[in-house]
Amino acid sequence: MKKILFSLAAVAALLGMVSCSTESVEVPVITDLGITANPVDCQVYNRGDSIYFHYRITGHEELGSYNLEIHNNFDHHTHGTQGQTCALDAKKDPQKNAFYYNQDFVIPRGNKDYDARQSIYIPANAQPGDYHFVIRATNSQGGQGIRAMAIKIK
Amino acid sequence: MNKALLAFVLSPVCMTALADNHTSKAPSAPLEVGVDSSIVMQDLTVLGNRQKDIQMRSSVNTISIGKEFLQNNFSGSLMQSLRGIPGVKAMSIGSGQSKPTIRGLGFNRMVVTEDGIKHEGQQWGDDHGLEIDQFAIDHIDVVKGPAALLYGSDAIGGVINLYSNYIPTKKFQGAVSLFGRSNNESVGLSARLQGITGGFYWKANTTLIDYADYRVPTNSIQYFSYDIPLKDKLLRNTAGLERDGSVTLGYKGINFHTELKLSDAYTKSGFFANAHGLEVRLSSIDYDKSRRDIDLPYQSVNHFKVMSHTVYQEGQLALELNLAYQNNHRKELTEPIAHGYMPTPPNSLEREFKKDTYTANLMTRYDLNERHSLSAGVNGEYQHNRRAGWGFIIPDFETTSFGAYAFDRYTIKKDLIVNAGVRYDHVRTNIHSYTDWFKTPVSATDTIYKERSQDLCRSFNSLTWSAGINYATAGWILKANIGKSFRVPIPKELGTDGVNYHIFRYEKGNPNLNPEESYQLDAGIHWGNDRLTIQFDPYLNYFPNYIYMNPTPNYYEGLQWYYYTQSRVIRCGFELQADWKILPSLSAEFKGEYLYAEQLSGEKKGYTLPFSTPWSADATLRYAFCRKNVGNEGFVAMNMHVTGRQNNIVPPEKPTPGYYTLNLTAGKDFAFGERTLRLSLNAENLLNRKYYDHTSFYRLIDVPEPGRNVALIATFEF
Repeated sequence: MKKILFSLAAVAALLGMVSCSTESVEVPVITDLGITANPVDCQVYNRGDSIYFHYRITGHEELGSYNLEIHNNFDHHTHGTQGQTCALDAKKDPQKNAFYYNQDFVIPRGNKDYDARQSIYIPANAQPGDYHFVIRATNSQGGQGIRAMAIKIK
Repeated sequence: MNKALLAFVLSPVCMTALADNHTSKAPSAPLEVGVDSSIVMQDLTVLGNRQKDIQMRSSVNTISIGKEFLQNNFSGSLMQSLRGIPGVKAMSIGSGQSKPTIRGLGFNRMVVTEDGIKHEGQQWGDDHGLEIDQFAIDHIDVVKGPAALLYGSDAIGGVINLYSNYIPTKKFQGAVSLFGRSNNESVGLSARLQGITGGFYWKANTTLIDYADYRVPTNSIQYFSYDIPLKDKLLRNTAGLERDGSVTLGYKGINFHTELKLSDAYTKSGFFANAHGLEVRLSSIDYDKSRRDIDLPYQSVNHFKVMSHTVYQEGQLALELNLAYQNNHRKELTEPIAHGYMPTPPNSLEREFKKDTYTANLMTRYDLNERHSLSAGVNGEYQHNRRAGWGFIIPDFETTSFGAYAFDRYTIKKDLIVNAGVRYDHVRTNIHSYTDWFKTPVSATDTIYKERSQDLCRSFNSLTWSAGINYATAGWILKANIGKSFRVPIPKELGTDGVNYHIFRYEKGNPNLNPEESYQLDAGIHWGNDRLTIQFDPYLNYFPNYIYMNPTPNYYEGLQWYYYTQSRVIRCGFELQADWKILPSLSAEFKGEYLYAEQLSGEKKGYTLPFSTPWSADATLRYAFCRKNVGNEGFVAMNMHVTGRQNNIVPPEKPTPGYYTLNLTAGKDFAFGERTLRLSLNAENLLNRKYYDHTSFYRLIDVPEPGRNVALIATFEF
């Protein structure tokens, strides 16, 4: 009987080995390592100014695209990767001039480490208040990394 | 891949080698109990023959389960109770509900039937459970492997056949069950009353369940690297309720049996409030004020069914007619939030689906002579689905399908049976266009109502077949089956085009998809004597055009673009079960399963398929007491479950570490004359381990599986 149990254990062990033999899939990392990144959490901008966006996107796989999105946080929601909580203005309803920005950018082929820079103009008539700045980046396999931060427009 | 194949080839050799000179027992008792849960079989010889009968009945791997198994393994949902069957998994979708998978194939790649009628809900959805009263089920047959011949489209991975076909034996009888679960403070009541007079019988069932928020063994979860603190380790807003009822009227004569059943199943359950969609919401709702309330976001589903089942038998001829109407009404309600170009919606109705399904099956069996048993049948089905709400995911559609099959079972000699069959299906799907209710800018000056789905009409034809052999000799039963099965692309795969606000991605359907086809070779090797039985079921499965949603590196309107495509896929795996009767009162059971899948073409060539089941193994020691005291038997069983690490993933999945859990089940019957009281205890995850299930919908958002859970059920039969 012991022989049976031993054999069963051996079969199980064999299966364990078989099922652990493949590589894992990574998602791109959006980082400020080695650069002065912009924007950072709780940063304040004035209407009529530009946000000089600068972050590093790295990964083990070849990178694909990145997307920048700015949307209002007048209803006080939070995003996954926000590092700290910032002082928020009172809740309010968005007006017609609430700022919204959403652009996709393709990362040139062959990059595994990319220095992403964009300049985003904040209209002079934008509704002031709390906003979120969201960076999304993909690799060629479709893995996606996200980084979001809270900013304020005055 | 090579290693997997090697293991695949070697395992039967190992098993047969060690199976040779040992004695055995019949398989675990719960599997052997027949349709009537009150029958407790004592005679092992009877058990052995019954097992053989079941094994010889079909060349496809079929497992038969009685009500006692369900009671002893009582868990949160019917599918969770079935997890003990090798090859069957419950994909947990939170809220106490789960979706079944057979050998890693779920959603529209397997079929659930109720009394021969295909259950039609919204099974394509990630968080849509099964709308069936688990306490009204008398008996379950699980078919592992292709079963397109009988069921047409979707029966690729297998079929879970649920039967509520028990016919009362007394003028008035019934059963009442009370149950509770500790983890989510679930309490429930289920009652059945029934009776027979002459040939006429009636049955009435009702089930009421209420549960509170789920408890997980962690103080906070990581959701996109953000810590969400949990109050008292509770998953906010995962409470829910279930209300089921059914009435059956029937007549059973010598040659004629007919039955009409009306049933309604209603569930309302909350979605985990912090992680519904990609945003972590700071809602003004105070979720922590009560553990038992259901706030937004939540879903409600009502499934109404009318079924008629008639069998007529005359000499060598048997005729069976099944007719059914099903209405599935599903709502998902969420706090209205503006997102992207969508302004704040006017109300909380995010999605609503109303699906009507009409089914008709006519089957006939004719025993030509002692050797040939011919079967043939026709099936027709019409589906009508309408959507509402501000969140678009699938278009309105109608689907009409028609299929016909013929099957011959040829008994060469008593222990050698071959079979072959062929089937033809024609399916027509008509999809309606959908246009956004809000405007999206397409240039600096222009905004439009975007069309998310176009009018589309497609027809699909499929020819499927299967062939198999059953052979029994001495202690061995050998089976082999080869078959082709298929699945028609669902309207979501053909017609979706837009933001899936549920998981925040842009999904694009493909109107040119072909029916997905699957070829599968199955084997079943059974060896046993009165002390030891071993069952080994390997399979090899090839898809020339598996339909798959591929994540791309591209963005559209700020969301990652996913699109439906088809690729070649190979899958192989096996289940293994060994039962050893050490002493008359003590038995041991070992179960294991392994599955390997690889995409052979397309952009994700070399990757596996989403939600790939990792290997797992179970060892159970079971002690039976009061064995001689008929009607008062009891048992206690200790189980260790081990699941391996899953590194074999495809974006956007993450690798999932392995885990083990310790589980305890116990049961005892008490006879009071003709009446019986049965107590069952099912304690899961005794060590309160924190672990993730790779096949869980919540795995993607890093929610661990529920912690320690003790379920107790008391059933009084009279």
